[in-house]
Amino acid sequence: MKKNRFMLILGLLLIAALALTACTATSGDVQQAIEEVAPTLQAAATELAPTVQAAVEEIAPTVEAVATEMAPAAEEAAPAFEPMSLAAPDCEYGGLFKEIAALDELTVQFTMCAPDPAFPSKVAFTSFAIQPSEWLESTGGTGELLEHPVGTGPYMISAWNRGEEVQFTKNPNYWGNPAVAENLVFRWQAESAARLLELQSGTVDGIDNPGPDDFETITNDPNLQLLDRPALNIFYLGMNNTYAPFDNEKVRQAIAMGIDRQRIVDNFYPPGSEVASHFTPCSIPNGCAGEEWYEFDPEAARALLAEAGFPDGFTTTIEYRDVVRGYLPDPNIVAQDIQAQLAENLNITAEIVVTESGAFLARADAGELDGLYLLGWGADYPDMTNFLDYHFGAGSSPQFGDHFTDLTDVLAQAASLAGDDARAPLYEQANNLIKQHVPMVPVAHGGSGVAYLATVQNAHVSPLGNEAFASMDPGKDTFVWMQNAEPISLYCADETDGESLRACEQVTEALLAYEVGGTAVVPALATGCEPNEDLTVWTCTLREGVTFHDGSALDANDVVMTYVVQWDAANPLHTGNTGAFSYFSGLWGGFLNAPPSE
Amino acid sequence: MSSATEPAVPVAKLPPLDDAAAGDIGDFRANSLWRLTLRRLFRQRSAVIGAIMLGLLVFSAIFAPWIAPYDPEQVLIGKEDVRKRAAPCIHLLGCPADQPQHILGVDGNVRDQFSRIIYGTRVSLYVGFLTVSLAVIVGTLLGAVSGFLGGWMDNTVMRVLDVVLAFPFLLLAIAIVSVLGPGLTNAMLAIAIISIPIYARVTRASVLSVREMDFIEASRALGASNTQILFRRVLPNALPPLIVVATLGIATAILDTAALSFIGLGAQPPTPEWGSMLAIERNQVFSAPHLVIFPGLAIMFTVLAFNLLGDGLRDALDPRLVHGSGVAKE
Repeated sequence: MKKNRFMLILGLLLIAALALTACTATSGDVQQAIEEVAPTLQAAATELAPTVQAAVEEIAPTVEAVATEMAPAAEEAAPAFEPMSLAAPDCEYGGLFKEIAALDELTVQFTMCAPDPAFPSKVAFTSFAIQPSEWLESTGGTGELLEHPVGTGPYMISAWNRGEEVQFTKNPNYWGNPAVAENLVFRWQAESAARLLELQSGTVDGIDNPGPDDFETITNDPNLQLLDRPALNIFYLGMNNTYAPFDNEKVRQAIAMGIDRQRIVDNFYPPGSEVASHFTPCSIPNGCAGEEWYEFDPEAARALLAEAGFPDGFTTTIEYRDVVRGYLPDPNIVAQDIQAQLAENLNITAEIVVTESGAFLARADAGELDGLYLLGWGADYPDMTNFLDYHFGAGSSPQFGDHFTDLTDVLAQAASLAGDDARAPLYEQANNLIKQHVPMVPVAHGGSGVAYLATVQNAHVSPLGNEAFASMDPGKDTFVWMQNAEPISLYCADETDGESLRACEQVTEALLAYEVGGTAVVPALATGCEPNEDLTVWTCTLREGVTFHDGSALDANDVVMTYVVQWDAANPLHTGNTGAFSYFSGLWGGFLNAPPSE
Repeated sequence: MSSATEPAVPVAKLPPLDDAAAGDIGDFRANSLWRLTLRRLFRQRSAVIGAIMLGLLVFSAIFAPWIAPYDPEQVLIGKEDVRKRAAPCIHLLGCPADQPQHILGVDGNVRDQFSRIIYGTRVSLYVGFLTVSLAVIVGTLLGAVSGFLGGWMDNTVMRVLDVVLAFPFLLLAIAIVSVLGPGLTNAMLAIAIISIPIYARVTRASVLSVREMDFIEASRALGASNTQILFRRVLPNALPPLIVVATLGIATAILDTAALSFIGLGAQPPTPEWGSMLAIERNQVFSAPHLVIFPGLAIMFTVLAFNLLGDGLRDALDPRLVHGSGVAKE
């Protein structure tokens, strides 16, 4: 016994001694390494110095100009308003904006490179909500900004306890109808059964996306109300054409023909869903122009696959995030059915890979998903550009691989025309090109729902997923909302996830807005945005007397600043959460001064 | 049975140096430890129940293709008139005969739940036996060598294993699977790795007590080498506690695999693994409870079988718990 203890102590001592020698050895090595590297570093530094200096000198005038322009905005009550502006040297960079300029304290003028009839719908979108220029500057475009958006909305952020809840309090100085409930709380729960349980027990007042199998339970419960959200979305099976075998158009077409989409919708989607005949839902003007999607034809699909050189199929992955969205009510089940169909109809062996939501979106945006993937899209505003330009336009992310230039050309042309009738032939062409190239397989427009306690007055559901809780009356001080997931950040210029956007929408406002529970564009921070005759210049007049949550007054420079930090990739505040600013490039065509690699 | 003179189950083939004594211990051999253990084991009701349950499981694993009415991965959409997540339909219990019979219902992908659970037995038993075998082999070797040799060898091996033991079980498994990548094989490997220290410790403890015994001293005096003594004399005599721990360990391994599969790191769909079946249907706990209850029951049944049997084995192998069966004098 004693011997053992002695041995143990000896052993421990030995290990400690070993560890110690190892540490000292490494520290010596490190020191040596530093000494070795130091001269190289110094050389590199001296070499770089002129370049850095040149760069600084180059930027200096611009910075100074901006700074002088900014100065008056900073001193709020300063009598002389010095309007800010930023102009692109030309329209070669590929985006839609030519110039964004403050004309006077309450007027902002957007000059476009091409006519843009969807302008009002776009500026109403959450990602372009106005924040004070001072706040953007003081946060450096990231950090604190991601947690505490300063907006003009009916609610203000009071606390965000990561992993638990976001708390909002009523904005007493709101310019419009003040919020009914004093406090608003956002909670989240990924499991639909748990969400329903919380609603049934009354601990929350409203839940998003109850499980499809629970619709009946909710309708039969007199204490609950179920509101159907129209299927203004698309669920698709994505592919990236830069990875084999999806670089072969025939393979993509074979997959398009080899999946029985009717079976998926009939079996796994709630009522109100429909098989996608096109990428865009038919309720969007021109959404269903052009040919319908391929009929399910496993034999033709197999023949096509054999022609492409895969008579025995191939092995790939099906990647998705295990989160419920309106377009995908039951991801695990749908993924397994697609897996079974691929095996049965095309002899394709697909391994299922589940990725965390944020990482999955980042991988999709970066074009890193090399297999099949399940993703979808909910309308942000009811226009073709929101669906097609975001996914397939010139400014879209590489999530489907290389752009199809014939498609991007048609989309650019269509986006510049006014009037649905004028655009119809172009969108017909675009939809046919999508059918031909098959960048993805559109599967379903999913019906979904929102459930509230029966006591909630003025409960509504938004087809765009942006329910305005300020107008709802829970009959008590606090309204508790439970959604599927936690917001990723609250700087929504750099977010695409609906769970983040909905939280931002309670706090921040854009120039225009969508009507509560609908899709029509209504005035918000601007009393209106008027175009010139050929729709290339839009002039927005700001509402008077609007103040931000931090007390500062809304002026035209705040609007310019909000847009410029997103537009100008060289702007020091163009940082955000990931720096992708996907909505901006997707909707407005691209960034100014974008790094050449992109 | 005790009067039999011929040894039915020899413990291990004894080396020639024992030949002289063979006659004297003939009776003892007839009452060899394993025979007595078996007899004592079947005297306990709980152990018998455990063994029967285990027998049932092994039977259904082996004969799964004959028992299961459907292919476990066969999607029945378009083949039969069933809804997804349909409740169980048993003709004997009054389910209309024109409806296809699914005695445990149909899952979310319209597959026969009963067939999946039957085939799930294969996965679980395979996982349980394989991981524990791997862990036992490595753990026993490490434990036996370090216990027998002692000294710096013992200290080094045991301290390393202590480090592994210091981590929470499942957390370490998750970490290993995250590095290796999700999948059933990797999950099994992870669980095997984290269970090694347990078997090493148990083996080492019994080796330590056995090696001080007189008969070891005798073997040594007769000139047996270290390897001979370790594998012929010490290990066979150090096995009983290991068997108990391993039996109980199978239950833990099955449970841990189910847990890993539940969080998506173990068996990948469409493999019919109970943990992943539970996970995929977890949101239907109120609307289609049969999809959550039956895989859960299957896990419980299996774990219970191994635990009952393991407990019985422990009692049967424990000399202190023997009541007048005339053995346990060793």
